[in-house]
Amino acid sequence: MAELPAPTEDEFRKLCEYLYRRTGMSFTEEKRYYVERRVWERMAATGSQSFASYFALLRTDTQDEIQQFVNAFTINETYFYREDYQLKCLTNDLLRERLSKKRAGDTIRIWSAACSSGEEPYSIAIWLLENWPGVDAYAVEIVGSDIDTRVLELAGSATFGKRALMRLSPELIGRYFDALPAEQWQIISQLRDSVSFTVVNLVEPQQTRAHGRFDVIFCRNVLIYFDDASRRIAAENLYENLLPGGFICLGHTESMSRISPLFEVRRFADAIVYQRPEITRP
Amino acid sequence: MPLVRKPPQPTGQPIRSPAEILTGLGSASADDRWAAARAAAALPDSAAALAAALPQEADSRVREAMFTSLVRIGTRDSVAMILPMLRSNDSALRMGALDALQASVFAARELLPQLLSDPDADVRILSCELARGLPSEEASRSLCALLARESAVNVCGAAIEVLAEVGDQAALPMLTQCGQRFSHVPFLSFAIKLAMDRIRAEGDRG
Amino acid sequence: MTTAAKTILVVDDAALVRVYYRSILEEAGFRVEEALNGLEALETLLGETVDLLVVDINMPQMDGLTFLRTLRQREGPLASIPALVASTESAEEDFAAARAAGANYYLVKPIEREQLVEFARMLCGVAA
Repeated sequence: MAELPAPTEDEFRKLCEYLYRRTGMSFTEEKRYYVERRVWERMAATGSQSFASYFALLRTDTQDEIQQFVNAFTINETYFYREDYQLKCLTNDLLRERLSKKRAGDTIRIWSAACSSGEEPYSIAIWLLENWPGVDAYAVEIVGSDIDTRVLELAGSATFGKRALMRLSPELIGRYFDALPAEQWQIISQLRDSVSFTVVNLVEPQQTRAHGRFDVIFCRNVLIYFDDASRRIAAENLYENLLPGGFICLGHTESMSRISPLFEVRRFADAIVYQRPEITRP
Repeated sequence: MPLVRKPPQPTGQPIRSPAEILTGLGSASADDRWAAARAAAALPDSAAALAAALPQEADSRVREAMFTSLVRIGTRDSVAMILPMLRSNDSALRMGALDALQASVFAARELLPQLLSDPDADVRILSCELARGLPSEEASRSLCALLARESAVNVCGAAIEVLAEVGDQAALPMLTQCGQRFSHVPFLSFAIKLAMDRIRAEGDRG
Repeated sequence: MTTAAKTILVVDDAALVRVYYRSILEEAGFRVEEALNGLEALETLLGETVDLLVVDINMPQMDGLTFLRTLRQREGPLASIPALVASTESAEEDFAAARAAGANYYLVKPIEREQLVEFARMLCGVAA
């Protein structure tokens, strides 16, 4: 493959504006190198002779090209404590606000709505046990869901390799994992038993409604893959699954401003999150 | 360990009958109207009720759910009911209608020709956005055809905006011609040059 | 002593319009932020101090008038940021609706360089 020249300023802007409009993902100047590299990779993979022909192909989303392009930025290979600024926001701010609405004996319900092989819901559990003083005073229910039953099986087995644990200290690993042969670690059984996993297609209200309302929903790097119609439906489903005043956290390049007008934006010290309003006017 | 696992408790019963939906759409409670609007997606016959309720609906979230249901019903009739709202004086209703049309699978291809020929320039402006839903070559051709016959400055501006994304090399002659016709309008000169730069960027490289 | 540049938030879903305003306003010494609809503008305002809003009406997700109404209901300085509406809509009802929503001035597109700079300076309290 011949060396391709770098996309021009105009091409870069055109691509970023299109991707933002189409997926809600924001690519800023800092990401430029990675975006350019991805363009080269996908031009080669699709046999596109020019940026223009690749861009036209991307726009038609032939063979899921948008997903192919975006995959590189969502790092499907997940790991524990990924994007931990949101976990910090959870314990520093979100739970405090949610608790002010709760009575003694109420449960805090948290949903990891695209949990893949389980790193996210287990991360939430471990983080709460480690960082939240209130963890002994309130009951916390964590639900993980995904549309893909194969990854849910992995989540249920709660077994992970070294790479997934790379951000965890040896102390944490020792406390919450059992070491298995062949460099595998399994979440300890008490923790395994306390996170439930379930199949949910976020676009199907019959499936989402079945799980009740939550205080906090993590829905990271999923809505970007939906088309306009599906994204509207999923946003409405997620809204219904939030308690009034409940919060939803997206991936760090995602913004609700391109996804749905249902939620209000809240800025906390550690993160920007979105909220179902407390009061609905009659 | 304080982490608990409980059986799920579903949120509310979905409304089923057309009568329940009608009642719900007329409720004084926004929550009731929301539930009715969402349930209406399963009943194509409720499209007319949704379309009638929309202009009166003051709650932006309920309005959003009503438009989504019209899109989900997805018949040509239900989509056609959205069209008149493009002309509304209410900017939120107007843009809600456009957002809904953009989410409709066939609105762009089937409705675009008539919308781009609408006697109302404001409708033509909004309709240029719908061309984004077409493959690049088709969108580019439709918008160039519009530019060839269009005299309203802001309609040209809207078409050029979309051409900057979807335009191909075949659009360049029309854009050049537009530039000459509207050389007295600074924004259009600027926009045309930028659009042509974005389209031509590939061709200019060695 | 130099005074800090005033910041203008341009809220318009059209990329070419944002680039156009940016080029004019930056040349006139302003700092420019962009948002492509009312929701993004509200999000930007959480983190940026803005001296003037230039707001389109017809935008997806949240139109300009809904944005202004939402903003004017907030407490504190956000509620009173000057707002210049710049729209293709040109009927008398549109001007009235914009005023009712909390716009300070209304310009009909296409906007000329001199107009934009003059209004920006006036609304930001900047000398020519």
